[in-house]
Amino acid sequence: MLRADDLVFAHPGQEEPYHFSLEAQPGEVTAISGASGSGKSTLLDLLAGFIAPVSGMLTLDGEDLLSLPPEARPVSLLLQADNLFEHLSAEENAALGLPRGTPKPTGQQLVAQALAEVGLAGFDTKQAANLSGGQKQRVALARTLLRDRPVLLLDEPFSALDDETRRTTRELVGALTRRHNWHTVLVSHHADDIAALASAHYRIVAGRLERV
Amino acid sequence: MLTLPHRPMRVAAATALTLIIAVLIAAVLWAILNAATDASGGSRVDIAHLLRMTALQAGLTMVLSLLVGTALAWALNRLRFAGRDLVVGLFAAAIVTPGMVVAFGLLSIWGRNGWINQASEVLFGIGFESPAYGLSGILLAHVILDGAFAGRILLARLDAIPQSRLKMGQSLGLSAWQRFALIDWPALRGSLPGLGAIIFLLAFTSFPIVLLLGGGPANQTLEVAIYTAVRLDFDLVGAVRLALTQIGVCSLVILLASAFTPVPSALSRSTQPRWRDSAPVRVLQWAVLVLGAIGFALPLLSVLYDGLTSGLLRVLGQAGFWRATGTSIIIGASSALLTLALALMLALGRSAAYRQGARVMLGIPAFAYLAVPAVVLSLGFFLLVRTTGVPVGTAAPVVVVIANSLLSLPFAIATLGPPLDAIIRTRGKLIRSLGLSGWTQFISIEYPLLGRDIGLMLALAFCFSLGDLGVIALFGTQDFQTLPLMMYRALGSYKSNDAAAIAALLLIFTIVAFVGLPRLIERISHASRR
Amino acid sequence: MVKASSLALAVLLAGLSGTAHAQDKPVLTIYTYDGFASEWGPGVPLKEGFEATCGCTLNWVAADSSIGTLRRVQLEGDSTEADMILGLDTAIAGEARATGLFADHGLDMSHLSLPGEWTDAQFVPFDYSHFAFMWDTDTMDAPPSSFEELIALDDDIKIAIQDPRSATPGLGLLLWVKAAYGDRAPEIWEGLAPHILTITRDWSESYALFLDGEADMVLSYTTSPAYHIFDADDHTIKAAMFSEGHFPQIEVAGILKSSDQQDLARDFLAFLTSKEGQANIPTTNWMFPVVDLEAELDPAFQGLPQPEKTLTLDEAEITANLAAWIDEMLAAVQ
Repeated sequence: MLRADDLVFAHPGQEEPYHFSLEAQPGEVTAISGASGSGKSTLLDLLAGFIAPVSGMLTLDGEDLLSLPPEARPVSLLLQADNLFEHLSAEENAALGLPRGTPKPTGQQLVAQALAEVGLAGFDTKQAANLSGGQKQRVALARTLLRDRPVLLLDEPFSALDDETRRTTRELVGALTRRHNWHTVLVSHHADDIAALASAHYRIVAGRLERV
Repeated sequence: MLTLPHRPMRVAAATALTLIIAVLIAAVLWAILNAATDASGGSRVDIAHLLRMTALQAGLTMVLSLLVGTALAWALNRLRFAGRDLVVGLFAAAIVTPGMVVAFGLLSIWGRNGWINQASEVLFGIGFESPAYGLSGILLAHVILDGAFAGRILLARLDAIPQSRLKMGQSLGLSAWQRFALIDWPALRGSLPGLGAIIFLLAFTSFPIVLLLGGGPANQTLEVAIYTAVRLDFDLVGAVRLALTQIGVCSLVILLASAFTPVPSALSRSTQPRWRDSAPVRVLQWAVLVLGAIGFALPLLSVLYDGLTSGLLRVLGQAGFWRATGTSIIIGASSALLTLALALMLALGRSAAYRQGARVMLGIPAFAYLAVPAVVLSLGFFLLVRTTGVPVGTAAPVVVVIANSLLSLPFAIATLGPPLDAIIRTRGKLIRSLGLSGWTQFISIEYPLLGRDIGLMLALAFCFSLGDLGVIALFGTQDFQTLPLMMYRALGSYKSNDAAAIAALLLIFTIVAFVGLPRLIERISHASRR
Repeated sequence: MVKASSLALAVLLAGLSGTAHAQDKPVLTIYTYDGFASEWGPGVPLKEGFEATCGCTLNWVAADSSIGTLRRVQLEGDSTEADMILGLDTAIAGEARATGLFADHGLDMSHLSLPGEWTDAQFVPFDYSHFAFMWDTDTMDAPPSSFEELIALDDDIKIAIQDPRSATPGLGLLLWVKAAYGDRAPEIWEGLAPHILTITRDWSESYALFLDGEADMVLSYTTSPAYHIFDADDHTIKAAMFSEGHFPQIEVAGILKSSDQQDLARDFLAFLTSKEGQANIPTTNWMFPVVDLEAELDPAFQGLPQPEKTLTLDEAEITANLAAWIDEMLAAVQ
């Protein structure tokens, strides 16, 4: 279980600091909603380790995460855009998720499997710049598979997609979460995304997370 | 291209300006040919040899400057420390300091009697062969000037990398090398051809440094040959022939550079997450920075030290100094404003042009000054002014302002062009669909977004003009002298202490203007938006 | 087009120009090199002294170099404002004379005190000095006493010289070597080559290199030490005396035929070569005066060593061969 216990943080000039507490279960999607500027991105930055809280606890199955730098946290990240390096191919992008020192043949095989799992078999050598929005998010998900980290943080990952792609990508995220037992935290202000995916739902009100 | 706002007036204005500059250059050459009489002597110049030497020197300068600039930008982008802004400002100021000042600063560090050699003699009992003379000296001085400038430009590109990209990279745990190759390099790559071309041309046409440190006729440039043809041999036809050769070579370089479509840059600085590289890499970054400081900052500091410890008060007490300061500031401000007008006309026209050919054509006038030798330009201006019947002494300030503006233009375009292109690319459709007028587009979209860049450009142009010795040396009079000219004249009258003090003050003015102006302008452009 | 732009330019300039107002006094316009007209140069006291008696205005126009003044007049042709060029030297006098631009001065030059008699009909000398290498008593034990001794020194001993194509002392050195060694000149240059730290465009750059300790010796003038003695009673900088003899630089002025102020120009030349005018020269231009100032000569100049022998070259020979000699020298030091 991913557990945040009163993470306190204030941006420079912010008078009332945030106080974030939440619990996210494995194999489930935990949704976060809130008005623009309510602190959704700050929460994700705290969980991913880009900023450090003044006080509070963050644990995964009882292990402390706060002492870890972003790259060492058991966390994968999927943003609204800019998830891929456009001048690399789909497989090169996905391969960035492989553990260091993976032998080349093994790596190629794993990448091909991951791309197949997200429904992109045969797209291996295509430049990221030439992929559609939905395909890009799928490549990023394939990379997440290869990284095999137990926590997946999603920041409005479907906002830039059309309805049909949005639905299929959403289903893919739900399926992967269940299959790989991820603790998926989804930041979204779309009620239907939350309704379709989330097992638990928090809303940020006045700098605190409220269970809905 | 229906995605671009239709701006025929912008393209027309830029085209007109391009034509005017072309006509001006043609008129300059024509005036010189016209003045050539039978009395002109013949000059003996081995053009092929000169071209070979100059191209070698300029090519090496370019490669080294880009390498050094990239390393510096990389280190500065990663490290955070007190005084970082000052270091960035100091590095950037190197390009606008007068070549003479930098060359003498370089010598007091690296010369035969420089600090390093003296230290080595004290510590190890032996001196070494100074690297500050000959080809290595020229390269050292050029890399100090141009490498630091490249570092400043490339740092801006790195500082503009979007936050999300860095977050993604950091969360993926990219190694320092992967981080550079995947995140930094794509952001830098687009700037390198244009930057390289500017550096190549600067080195190709470099005059005072090559003459001071070059060691002799073996390391000559075309410009020196042209100077000889004009002055000593009075071979005006030969000078025009040499000038045309230089224009030809430089145009080739410019066209080659334009063939690479620049990768567009982001609009503004992003607030970047704190992402330190691993300890060994950080040690390397500090090493780069410290070496950079020894290479770049020390010569400038030595200029300050020498100047402030000798004759400062005497210089400050001279009425001539304050007159020269006033003249320098007026000339600098006028040419900065003229440069802004010219650069905006060209860059706005360029960003509005649909066809690649038109874009290349509108990019060329920026380099006019770099391609046309200063001696030829001032000689031609002199003759043109005479045909208009205006006394030369009266026209001198105007000519100096125009020439200084042309000198700053490539840097101005390099500063304003990429962000303007980026605005059109990302907001073009929106602007078109809203049916905004060109004026509204400029006032409510481009100007506010450009605030910082306009400030940087004005600072560049102002400082270039402040430090210019090439143009003023040919047009200054006893009533019309700028600080660099006064410095040079003091040096020529045995007053080397006065010259050192003026050099230090000049450097201080330059750094203050260079660091201060962009902030001032940004504040003004912010205020106007509220 | 030309008219429209000249009008625009004139309007633009109207605000900037402070000197264009009408004058009823006659104006004498003299083209000279930069240093002469600078605020530290002789131009300032000479203007003051001459204007006190002439009832005229003296107008210095500075070009970037002495040869630049000649080129400017050549470019301007008959329409030049210049009445006189001041600052050419004996090395380029022949070429200047050949342009046919200069008028006879008609002055009696017999009172002058120069190395050698002065009989030139067009050019009037106003100061002189001999080219020489400077050395610093703090860093050198004994200076070389000839070119051959200089060549024989360790290659570590470096000299800074000037490009003969852009600096008059550079040209002077070229003529000095030629006058002393004739056809052996290339050999001397090849011997000097390893000692040459750098060849600068102007005198000021090489002299600064010398003062900074970068070069052990610098090509300058036998009168250069006077500045340091005068300025700070510094006796460490000395001119090395060469046994071959020294080549002089004699700076001259000449009236242009095109001038409509011939009499005024002649008056100025007379003033320039008078004791009163000459008194301004030594401590501003750091050269010897061309008349004997006796006690009025600044003490800094009194004890300066003088060369035993003054070398000369025929003017016609210089003019005819200068280009070839420069090529010869450049090839030898390359």
